[in-house]
Amino acid sequence: MSSDRIALHVDRLTKVYSDGTHALDALELRIAAGAFFGLLGPNGAGKTTLIGAASGLVRAPEGRIFVFGHDAVSDPRARLLLGVAPQEIHLDRFLTTREVLTYHGRYFGMTKRDAGERADELLGVFDLGAKAKTKPNRLSGGMRRRLLIARALVHRPRLVVLDEPTAGVDLQLRHELWLYLRRLHEEHGQTVLLTTHSIDEAEALCERVAFILRGRIVAEGSPRELVEQFGGERLEDAYLEAVRA
Amino acid sequence: MRVELGVAQRRGMAALAGREVRRVLALWTQTILPPVVTAALFLAVFGGALGDRLRTVEGVDYLDFILPGLLVMTVASQTFANNSTTLFQAKNEGYIEDVLTSPLRPWQLAVAYMAGGLVRGFVAAAVVVLATVPFVGPIEQPLTALAALILTGLAFASLGVITGVWAETFDQHSFVASLVVMPLTLVGGVFYSARTLDEPWRTLTRFDPIYYLVDATRAAFTGFHEESVVTSLGVAAVASVTMVALAILLLARGWRLKP
Repeated sequence: MSSDRIALHVDRLTKVYSDGTHALDALELRIAAGAFFGLLGPNGAGKTTLIGAASGLVRAPEGRIFVFGHDAVSDPRARLLLGVAPQEIHLDRFLTTREVLTYHGRYFGMTKRDAGERADELLGVFDLGAKAKTKPNRLSGGMRRRLLIARALVHRPRLVVLDEPTAGVDLQLRHELWLYLRRLHEEHGQTVLLTTHSIDEAEALCERVAFILRGRIVAEGSPRELVEQFGGERLEDAYLEAVRA
Repeated sequence: MRVELGVAQRRGMAALAGREVRRVLALWTQTILPPVVTAALFLAVFGGALGDRLRTVEGVDYLDFILPGLLVMTVASQTFANNSTTLFQAKNEGYIEDVLTSPLRPWQLAVAYMAGGLVRGFVAAAVVVLATVPFVGPIEQPLTALAALILTGLAFASLGVITGVWAETFDQHSFVASLVVMPLTLVGGVFYSARTLDEPWRTLTRFDPIYYLVDATRAAFTGFHEESVVTSLGVAAVASVTMVALAILLLARGWRLKP
């Protein structure tokens, strides 16, 4: 398949942290462009390290990782195609909510005007318009989570990576985020990689799912295929069976 | 429509530099005012009180003698303080990931971060110069003064970046300011001529890059110097290039910024 049809290509990616932790172990993964892909795994399985390697937040992994054919470690063009909402919420406290978005857009090459227009659009979409001039540290946890996701979308990346986006989010907001993510995927054709602990979330949103365990992908397929492969009635049963094995 | 990589990187660098400069100007009571007050107090105490007794050093009026050193001290301490603090905060609070995931190259990150420190150092120095215009003689070689102060800014802005990347606690951050920058500044000949020192201090002073920066700036302001201006600017240039290169190298390797 051409580089345009593979959003993320991970080739034998290995990462050993300085304390000896093997976070990724020759991990192989391909995510087709336009897919809504879920990555499920327990804590410490390597989900966040994989995202860090794709986005430049992890130092010198072994192996290779490509975003739409661009080497994520050595080719800065990969960064322009990728938007990441990390698991931990870190927002520039010197900026206002709107400026968090406009500066991010400009760091990724947007003009001041384009970034401003895009920021206003996303503030509306994520219901943050009333908080445009508020500093992030004065927002509620749910608002900060929404801002973080909005930030990942400012520069219109072709691949959006969301690391546990609904962690610590109330039920109502969780469902609102699901609706938005579905719309984002369906209307704009963006590829979405979602890591989550929530089987419900993966079932509700993802066309394909991979189980990651001890730095390796142990199974991959549509939720239905995984259930057929591992037995049980729901994805949860398949996941538990895969993790147990 | 996708923007071309080089254009995106230039815009990104300008945006980050703009964010840093804006931070300096918005926090002017913490970034600009204190060094101006400090320099004014040094001038009042040393130039006023002590100057009445000393009158001249090496044939130069004492106020004229110490002003160049105070400008070097102001630029060095403020560029360092700004960049070490902004990097330390961004790293400690985690929001540095916003720029680390951007397409900016390491040298572009370094340049953008340095911009804030350089603006802070030069605005403070400019205010000091303007305030002392009525009391000191004209600058003999303005371009040499500018070159020496730019080299000072680059060296210490880079040291600030390096310290911000290295420091994992506020104590480590303060350590470099208190036990490296300030001693180097005070023994760099800001308030005295190295010729008047006894050995081994006279020789040791020559290992301090600030000595050369002060000497070149003083030559530019007053015409008095202890080393040739070319030697001073050469040593200062080597020190500055080394520090800038080290700062870029650390950003490129992601040392202490990425796991």
